Amino acid sequence: MSNISADDIRAEVKKFWDFFSRKSKSRFDEMYFHSATVFAADARRMEPARLMLVRRERELFGPASLVAAKLGTIDVQILGADLAVASYPFHLSITRTFASGKRFQVEVPSGRATQVFQRDEKGVLRILHEHMSSAEPVSPKELPPAPPSTPA
Amino acid sequence: MDKISPEDVRKEVHRFWAILSGKSPDKLEEMYSPAAIVFSGKAKRSESARLTAVRRSRQLPGIASTSKVEVGSIDVQFVGPDVAIAAYTYSFNTHKVQADGTKVQLNTPFGRATQIFQRSEGGAIRIVHEHLSAAAPPDMGKASE
Repeated sequence: MSNISADDIRAEVKKFWDFFSRKSKSRFDEMYFHSATVFAADARRMEPARLMLVRRERELFGPASLVAAKLGTIDVQILGADLAVASYPFHLSITRTFASGKRFQVEVPSGRATQVFQRDEKGVLRILHEHMSSAEPVSPKELPPAPPSTPA
Repeated sequence: MDKISPEDVRKEVHRFWAILSGKSPDKLEEMYSPAAIVFSGKAKRSESARLTAVRRSRQLPGIASTSKVEVGSIDVQFVGPDVAIAAYTYSFNTHKVQADGTKVQLNTPFGRATQIFQRSEGGAIRIVHEHLSAAAPPDMGKASE
């Protein structure tokens, strides 16, 4: 198995955001080790990634939600043959629609991510630990209700 | 070379906060690997730990300051014999007296930390990556008398 390169890690980070914004739930879930731990951007405590994935699916992977991200420069630190850390800034735009029909937009212009990647026993790179945060306070804005869809 | 133990990592985390709160004479820059990268509390981008350490050392609480830190339970994940990830919550409260005599208070009640430690070739355990953040914005203002 070849050693991890910085390009391998940058490709994984781009895949991560691609799966997230396309709401590819199963492929997104597979990016994490089962034992992975996460500091989500707005959480006071660390939690198992599997809990965060359940919440993210409920809140952000629905048909009326939108996720878009622009990534800054991805720094990669190689810590071993199968271990590396990616850190980068990002701008995240999220639109959520609640069951009540209310829609909210959240802009995170100064997001910051640390993701620790390790190869599993099959050689697949997965996230072992993640820390997401925002350098600035973030406040959701309510949007006007979506116009009713017109029949074909 | 000895494997890193959870006690080694927890000891280093407590040493880090003892330095930051002005309760240890140890040097902050010695805690970091030369190539370490840091996301400090409010910075929009990561930076070299050397820069962070210099800035923080300038801001360390002086004689006319008081600081209090509480570190929560430290979760330690080992990734190989020489690398460990410490993740924990903390609260940090500091009162400083500025040059004009004004007292200011900075309170971070919901701090979150990820610190990745690696044993160097010389055997020392150093931070190679650090991400500090807050789940709620820190309060900053004039301290009450």
